[in-house]
Amino acid sequence: MALLKARELLKRFGEICAVNQVSFEVREGEIYGLLGPNGAGKTTTISMTCGLLKPDAGEVLVAGKNFWSDPQGARRILGVVPQEVALYDELTGRENLEFWGRLAGLAPKESRQRATEVLEALSLADRAQDPVKTYSGGMKRRINLGCALLHRPRLLLLDEPTVGIDPQARMNILEFVRGLATSGTAILYTTHYLEEAETLCQRIGIIDHGRLLAEGTLTELQRRLGGDQLFVLEGDLQNATPEQWPDFLERFRVIQKSEHQLVAAAIGERDPAACLKQLLALPVRVENVTLKRPSLNDVFLQLTGRQLRE
Amino acid sequence: MKPALAIGHNDLRLFFRHRASLVWLLAMPVAFTYFMGFAVRGPGGPASPRPAVFIENQDQAFLGKYFLDTLGEQGLRIVAATNRAEAKRGIRIPADFTQRVLNKQSANVAFSTVDGAGDEAAALIELRVLRALVAINGNLVEHALATSGQPPTEEGLRALNARENPVQLDSRFAGRKPMPVGFNLSLPGNLVMYVLMNLMIFGAATIAAERRYGVLRRLMIHPISRGTLIAGKVYGLILLGLVQIAVLLLVGHFLLRVNLGDHLPALLLTLAIYAWVAASLGVLVGSVVTAEEKVIGLCLLASLPMAALGGCWWPLEIVPDFVKLLAHLVPTGWAMDALHQLITFGGGFAKAKGAIGVLFLFGLAANFTAAKCFRW
Repeated sequence: MALLKARELLKRFGEICAVNQVSFEVREGEIYGLLGPNGAGKTTTISMTCGLLKPDAGEVLVAGKNFWSDPQGARRILGVVPQEVALYDELTGRENLEFWGRLAGLAPKESRQRATEVLEALSLADRAQDPVKTYSGGMKRRINLGCALLHRPRLLLLDEPTVGIDPQARMNILEFVRGLATSGTAILYTTHYLEEAETLCQRIGIIDHGRLLAEGTLTELQRRLGGDQLFVLEGDLQNATPEQWPDFLERFRVIQKSEHQLVAAAIGERDPAACLKQLLALPVRVENVTLKRPSLNDVFLQLTGRQLRE
Repeated sequence: MKPALAIGHNDLRLFFRHRASLVWLLAMPVAFTYFMGFAVRGPGGPASPRPAVFIENQDQAFLGKYFLDTLGEQGLRIVAATNRAEAKRGIRIPADFTQRVLNKQSANVAFSTVDGAGDEAAALIELRVLRALVAINGNLVEHALATSGQPPTEEGLRALNARENPVQLDSRFAGRKPMPVGFNLSLPGNLVMYVLMNLMIFGAATIAAERRYGVLRRLMIHPISRGTLIAGKVYGLILLGLVQIAVLLLVGHFLLRVNLGDHLPALLLTLAIYAWVAASLGVLVGSVVTAEEKVIGLCLLASLPMAALGGCWWPLEIVPDFVKLLAHLVPTGWAMDALHQLITFGGGFAKAKGAIGVLFLFGLAANFTAAKCFRW
């Protein structure tokens, strides 16, 4: 069952269209990744799904109901982890958790009890009484995540929850998020880290300039480029004109071309050796050819003409 | 309702985690109240309106006792032998005082000085002894006239005392009310100024900081309404204001000996409503001004002139009429009006209710505007 449905969301800030006709859904127990560079519209999309912003057009359905028909009811189902570490530095980890639990509607006793459970789950029980300002970046991120979990939300929105922390802390958070999904929580996860989207998310939506360019499982997205085959040619390609090469565009799709590199995907199920032979026969001086499995970055490259890391 | 309480209590807890804030909340207002009160002390009344005298009454008959009571009625505090050190003067009533008066002979009352006692107190005592003597002699003459020369009796004299005097002097300030001076000015003045300044600065700065750290956005994605959030913020600030008010009133009453008057409930109501006004103004500034670095300066720029204009630094009685008019365009002016009425002028709720009502309207307007302008 889809706990979150976004239908043709549109949001403008003056002349800028931050989110343009974005639709997706997140099912129970699923981690849906919204992948895109900074400024792509991820945070605006999350802000509309949690009611911080009203869409100019389109609608958000939470558990089958329009968000704005009962915003407080929808917020009771939701947990949101903001991109910034939105905590009270002077308070301890436990005090922060208990406070946000109270605001999520828990009674004081229940909030205390849940704070203990969350601290244990996040491996922060031994630092529970220390002020948050004494925590490391990774610990702050974990408390930031924990503050959204007190009321056991069925739908969790995570807006780049691992920005600015070390790889070990990132691994811990990703593992924790996987555990939440396994227990049935629907998770919308925005990120600009390819590896996170590849290893964490069951389905991925690629967003850029406010538009959802493609979505699907990692395999489905890779297939858009020609299954498992992606060829990278390196050499002097300054004057290369693929459109003039005989039969080339019928057999290959150009993903990216620069002065020194050409990335192409084979069209259809083809023998890699045959493909290599055809590429080496091209009327250009090729110094190196690499065959690789397409990554999300390649998908992004094909969709936008630029690297996600740029 | 519960989330609003949680927000308010959390804000109060956060305030007390900043130890430095306590300086502005408690230490500075107390210090300023003391120094300002000291600086603007007026000529004032005598140091002791009921100076102490030690009286050695050797007369066992009724006129000795009657004379003692008359001295007390005239404003002298008669101390026992054990507290003789407190006395500024001594009086000795001779053993034959009653007998000599009944025999229509003159009776001498001895009046003695005390080493170290000031002249001011002595002069006051002499004046009051003189008034007591005039009163007792007057009653003796009146009694003799009423009884055709019969010797005076205790009952007869006390009956004359109980009767209302046919001629009385009712003295009061001509034209205007007395001017509050000393701690009677500095206590309400600093209370009004610091409550406004602290609640505005803390309220606005907290909101600005929470906006910067994304805490306001996080608050807004919880199942609470915008009104609840505003109510929580205002409630927390009111609690803070009440702490400051309680401390200043206790210091004023017990350390600075300010007589807070007989209308404590009305006084507390005035201050609670005023704290609500100041809290709402703080939330309003925090809502409107998004540049965190400008918030404190702006609050100071708003609260200090309001304090000066409203009569927190000097009595409004000494300013020109147009300044008096301006004073009543700001809440501080109305708060000072109500506080002076309740503390200094002895007026009750009836006299202060107009100012309290205007303060309430200020509170409503500030709260409504803050809710309207609130930006996360």
